Amino acid sequence: MTETAPETDTDGSTDRIDLTDRDTATPDYDDAFDAVVVGAGLAGSTAALTMADEGLDVLLVERGRYPGAKNVFGGVLYTPTLRQLVDVDAAPLERYIAERRFGMLSDEDETAVSISPGEWHDPPHNDSYTVLRGEFDEWLAEQAVEAGATLVTRTTVTGLLREGDRVVGIETDRPDGTIRAPYVVLAEGGNSLVSEGADLKEKDRRENVAVGVKEVLEFPEREHAIEDRFRLTGDAGVSYHYFGEGAVGDAFGGGFIYTNGDTVSVGLAYRLSDAATSQPDPEGTLNAFKTHPAVAPLLRGARTVEYTAKTIPEGGADEIPELVHDGAVIVGDAAGLVLNNGLHLEGTNMAVESGYHAANAVASAAQRGRTDADALAAYREDLESSFVVENLERYEWLIERVQADRELLFEELPRAVADAGSEYFRMDRAPKDQHASTAKRELLRAVGGYTGAAKLAVRYRKLLS
Amino acid sequence: MGDEPVIVVGVKQVPDDDEVRIDPDTGHLDRASAPAVMNPPDRNALEAALGLRDDAGGTVVAVTMGPPTATDVLEEAVAIGCDDAALITDRAFAGSDTWPTSLTLAAAAESLGADVFVCGEETTDSSTGQVPPGIAAHLGWAQLTYAEELDPEFDDETLVARRDVEGGHEVVAAELPVVVAVAYGEFEPRPAGLHRKLYAESEFEPIELSAEDIGLDDDEVGIDASPTEVGGMETVEPVERERVVVEGVDELADELAETEVFG
Ligand SMILES: Cc1cc2nc3c(=O)[nH]c(=O)nc-3n(C[C@H](O)[C@H](O)[C@H](O)COP(=O)(O)OP(=O)(O)OC[C@H]3O[C@@H](n4cnc5c(N)ncnc54)[C@H](O)[C@@H]3O)c2cc1C
Ligand SMILES: Cc1cc2nc3c(=O)[nH]c(=O)nc-3n(C[C@H](O)[C@H](O)[C@H](O)COP(=O)(O)OP(=O)(O)OC[C@H]3O[C@@H](n4cnc5c(N)ncnc54)[C@H](O)[C@@H]3O)c2cc1C
Repeated sequence: MTETAPETDTDGSTDRIDLTDRDTATPDYDDAFDAVVVGAGLAGSTAALTMADEGLDVLLVERGRYPGAKNVFGGVLYTPTLRQLVDVDAAPLERYIAERRFGMLSDEDETAVSISPGEWHDPPHNDSYTVLRGEFDEWLAEQAVEAGATLVTRTTVTGLLREGDRVVGIETDRPDGTIRAPYVVLAEGGNSLVSEGADLKEKDRRENVAVGVKEVLEFPEREHAIEDRFRLTGDAGVSYHYFGEGAVGDAFGGGFIYTNGDTVSVGLAYRLSDAATSQPDPEGTLNAFKTHPAVAPLLRGARTVEYTAKTIPEGGADEIPELVHDGAVIVGDAAGLVLNNGLHLEGTNMAVESGYHAANAVASAAQRGRTDADALAAYREDLESSFVVENLERYEWLIERVQADRELLFEELPRAVADAGSEYFRMDRAPKDQHASTAKRELLRAVGGYTGAAKLAVRYRKLLS
Repeated sequence: MGDEPVIVVGVKQVPDDDEVRIDPDTGHLDRASAPAVMNPPDRNALEAALGLRDDAGGTVVAVTMGPPTATDVLEEAVAIGCDDAALITDRAFAGSDTWPTSLTLAAAAESLGADVFVCGEETTDSSTGQVPPGIAAHLGWAQLTYAEELDPEFDDETLVARRDVEGGHEVVAAELPVVVAVAYGEFEPRPAGLHRKLYAESEFEPIELSAEDIGLDDDEVGIDASPTEVGGMETVEPVERERVVVEGVDELADELAETEVFG
């Protein structure tokens, strides 16, 4: 062994960097934040943003690698409230909705209604845009951070800290993982394990939950496939909704196609109770929908780039849990705030609206130094007088009706309408009068004659009132 | 060695392999659009360094040589438990290959008074594995590569490592100071604690060091100090293999006989 000092290429005489005066000890963040928000989805980021704007210190906790990483929806984002809070035009939007189309599908037929008012082409585009949640949710959370909120990702909230009945913080899956805060906003979405685990809400019943499956498709070989197939120019896009057995088979629900920038989203949502019984295979049902003769040509040559599945609460106004608790509020899908009735599939606007009202209630309670449920009651009251609860109540009856009439509405009627349509427009040598009366007869038979039709009209009159 | 060992751990920012898209039409990797993450083997290095501190005490300092955006991986290292972190950044470093990179890290180790310099096995973007031995060479330190287990016997100025070698392992003791490159996949990384993570991401600021701060002249680093010359790039097309489908063993034997693989 040689004892000569090893040769070095570095300049050993450089000053040592002194680490002793660096203070890098871990601070204790208990009660360092005024509020913790569980989940950086639409409801959570809106709540965080609003509270931060009100001057509160907010911690936004998200389990994903980044906000939106795994978030699933159709989807069309409805922005009337969001527009008041952020610069929506700077957001990553895909297309504005210029046409809405409702198609009734029997096995082989389609009967459709389409609306495309000219004003939808002008800003603010009826506040309806397709977005990709991976991009949009990340952007919205960034707006909350810019307003002063602190975002922590890859962190799953596993429970709530309690002092008696009062919620005083959260527990996470990380070591040293609890953190105390005066207010907790539960914005965890439809699979609300934290709220349920803490007995702040009951587990949703199967009949009150829909299963949603969705694919994103691209058209590798055709540059203008979307513009050409859906008759679009510029940033215009479409929202197509489908009902009937051709869409979801023997289940209660519907299908959709939405156009994004260079992709389309195709999916279905139907009752979980049907998925457990009459229509067990959502993926297979989606494949059947995609190959329906009225749908397949729209998707020809497309390639699936993403497949996702998720549950949607759809219990309506009756199933909204207690929204305010001592030290906690529940917002968005976690509170069951989704309108899903076939005509409408809206949850994004309700998530934002509820996050906004909840945040204001927390800010005002904080100003008064109170954390009890009574001090947060403004959230429930504001939500009740907003479109959210109004709409959920207004359409409650519709869901019940439609559920009761499902066989007629989703199977017999689509078939009869298609048959009547083809009869009415039949080209042969019989006079048109004759076609018209056959068509009428067929329709009437399906709905149970004039009395049946009148009853149906009465039952659904509220749709137009 | 001073009273408390100083353990420096090298971490590097690389494109996220999970997000590297393969263009389905051309089959090419699109690395440019992938977000930057910590080089996965460096997580094992961090765990090894923190394990040494658990056993023997001391201070763990993460260092990275890179642009200011590399601060993210330092925050992550501090979140996981490093006591401090240093960003070694300087325009003069641009274009450095493994030679000046390891010289820079060596100079930083010296400035920080390191007793142990822990590295990952290799990076997922350049994957030369040359940096750890390079640091050792520049400093004239011992090196322990492909380490699977570490046993600090710092009172004796020694670090004992179990090394993965072909056909088995060997146990080697090295005198301090020493460079360690840990075997990829060994030393399962621990998760970051919540409060530490909040601190690292929202309040912590790394020490910033320039070439001059660690005693390097501009002409010792960067592209001019890099002996690597890229001669050219070629895309290699896979060779189409001949295939024959046979039914049954007899036919297979016949085929093989015919191709004169055996007779
Ligand atoms: C297939 C489908 C199609 C839809 N289509 C439409 C549509 O076209 N238009 C429309 O308006 N609505 C649509 N909806 C409904 C809409 O997606 C929801 O109403 C909306 O996303 C609710 O927002 P949210 O913020 O309440 O919940 P989410 O968007 O679900 O966000 C919850 C967030 O919390 C995080 N999280 C959950 N648990 C935890 C935890 N324990 N710890 C930390 N983080 C957690 C999640 O990762 C997520 O980021 C659709 C839903 C589905 C499933
Ligand atoms: C042929 C060739 C040409 C190159 N040309 C250029 C160029 O022109 N410009 C340019 O910028 N880069 C260039 N590089 C990349 C650059 O040389 C390497 O990224 C860098 O030297 C580290 O080498 P590596 O990634 O192979 O590290 P490895 O030796 O594989 O890394 C092993 C371990 O060393 C540590 N380590 C490595 N790098 C760092 C670091 N920067 N900070 C802290 N710890 C670290 C980590 O613990 C890592 O796990 C080139 C690489 C090659 C192979």
